[in-house]
Amino acid sequence: MLSIIKKAAFRQFKKFETKHHELNYLFWECTTRCNLNCLHCGSDCSKDSSHPDMPLEDFLSALDTVKQPSVGNVIVVLTGGEPLLRNDLEMCGREIRKREKRWGMVTNGQLYDRDKHIALLNAGMGALTISLDGNKTTHSWMRNSTTNFEKVDNAIALAASYSRLNFDVVTCVHQKNIDELPQIRDYLIQKKVKAWRLFTIIPIGRSTQHPELFLTDSQFVGLMDFIVHTRQNPEIDIMFSCEGYVGKYEAKVRDSYYFCRAGINIGSILIDGSISACPNIDRSFVQGNIYQDNLMEVWENKFHVFRNRKWTKTGKCAHCSDFKDCQGNGFHNWHGEKKHPLVCHKEKIS
Amino acid sequence: MKKNRLRKFLGGLSFATLLFAFQACYGTPQDDGLDIYLYGKIVSKTNGEPVQGINVFVSNLDYYGTLPCAVSDEDGNFSFFTVLNDHIAVRFEDINPLEYGHFLQKDTVLTNIYTTKILLNIELEEVDALDHKKGGVSAI
Ligand code: SF4
Ligand code: SF4
Repeated sequence: MLSIIKKAAFRQFKKFETKHHELNYLFWECTTRCNLNCLHCGSDCSKDSSHPDMPLEDFLSALDTVKQPSVGNVIVVLTGGEPLLRNDLEMCGREIRKREKRWGMVTNGQLYDRDKHIALLNAGMGALTISLDGNKTTHSWMRNSTTNFEKVDNAIALAASYSRLNFDVVTCVHQKNIDELPQIRDYLIQKKVKAWRLFTIIPIGRSTQHPELFLTDSQFVGLMDFIVHTRQNPEIDIMFSCEGYVGKYEAKVRDSYYFCRAGINIGSILIDGSISACPNIDRSFVQGNIYQDNLMEVWENKFHVFRNRKWTKTGKCAHCSDFKDCQGNGFHNWHGEKKHPLVCHKEKIS
Repeated sequence: MKKNRLRKFLGGLSFATLLFAFQACYGTPQDDGLDIYLYGKIVSKTNGEPVQGINVFVSNLDYYGTLPCAVSDEDGNFSFFTVLNDHIAVRFEDINPLEYGHFLQKDTVLTNIYTTKILLNIELEEVDALDHKKGGVSAI
């Protein structure tokens, strides 16, 4: 009974959030250059590394149009490519903070040393995510690098030592590391990491050439069970990423029910100035460009496709009994012809 | 106002405050932490000229190690963010006296902090060429 009330309230909450659509999470794809060559790349970024980095002032002109939300802060999340390849990163951070916005960064850790860590904290960095994809052997295989594991190990220790930082580790779960999860968990606890997020890969980009990157259905169920079990351990806050609706595991693998906030609270400025939502979303959903449009006007007046998801009621989603709660799964699952989502997580656990 | 009350009510009915703490798959957590911005200008007590190259340390926080939080620029300006604590010990130190003149170290402790931004305008005493004693401590 209680869960029915909770679910109903959450649906109303989602409607409310969608109607008011406050932009409070803004990705900035500040570079597409990268110093690694990961196997799964292409599933989460454009990977057009020939594109020049976006000049800071171009981004700031767009950011200046963004209003303060009624609750909390706006956070700018610097992503890439590898943001640490920009040599003006601290300046970027300081300028963002000058505008009363917060900022954070997603990094592969390769260039994250002590000097960089302190310099970024001094520039007001408040959130950080570091990728770790397995034990040393598996991580090195996935990241195509023999040196990255040590760098990540060091970066994690630095980040975990600073209590002010909202820091988490993300792990991309695949066939080669699914059995290592308990080992990774113990390692993270020993490193004093407080938050750990797990996600899976969708079959696009370079990842499609590696079938071992995709979990079988029973492995996916194993992943859900592992998360549910580990959530009883107070030493680490583990969760499944926002990537999809997981039916009977809803609210057991995350702090809340599934809600894809792309275009509702999450926006992005991509490397070429395109305005969209999460950077892993198909580029055909781009809503405008900061070099021609006012970011906030685009946010307010466009983005209909994100805020009314009835169009996803097609293909396998057309007659799905969970559509109200899932709405066609994470937006990043819609590519190409958009006849059906690339992945239905619920299908995997049924 | 009414809008936020309704939002919190619906959120509270389903999953309380955690509702507002979302993050995207490939993004970072949100940042709702408290920090403080310290900024200001360092000048010479002797002639009021800006002093460049002074290292600014938060000396009561271990994780900085020997790294400064800021180094004053050619206009004597410095700025940085640090953790908002109930007291913050700040040290201004001339670590390379040969470069821009030789100045005495100054320490100051900030207490009763009720703001997220503090201006620190600092005057440093220049060390006489013959007097190399160090360690003058004063609060602003
Ligand atoms: S069929 Fe579509 S709406 Fe139903 S659970 Fe799967 S992705 Fe979601
Ligand atoms: S599109 Fe939706 S599900 Fe995918 S990363 Fe963004 S918020 Fe998460």
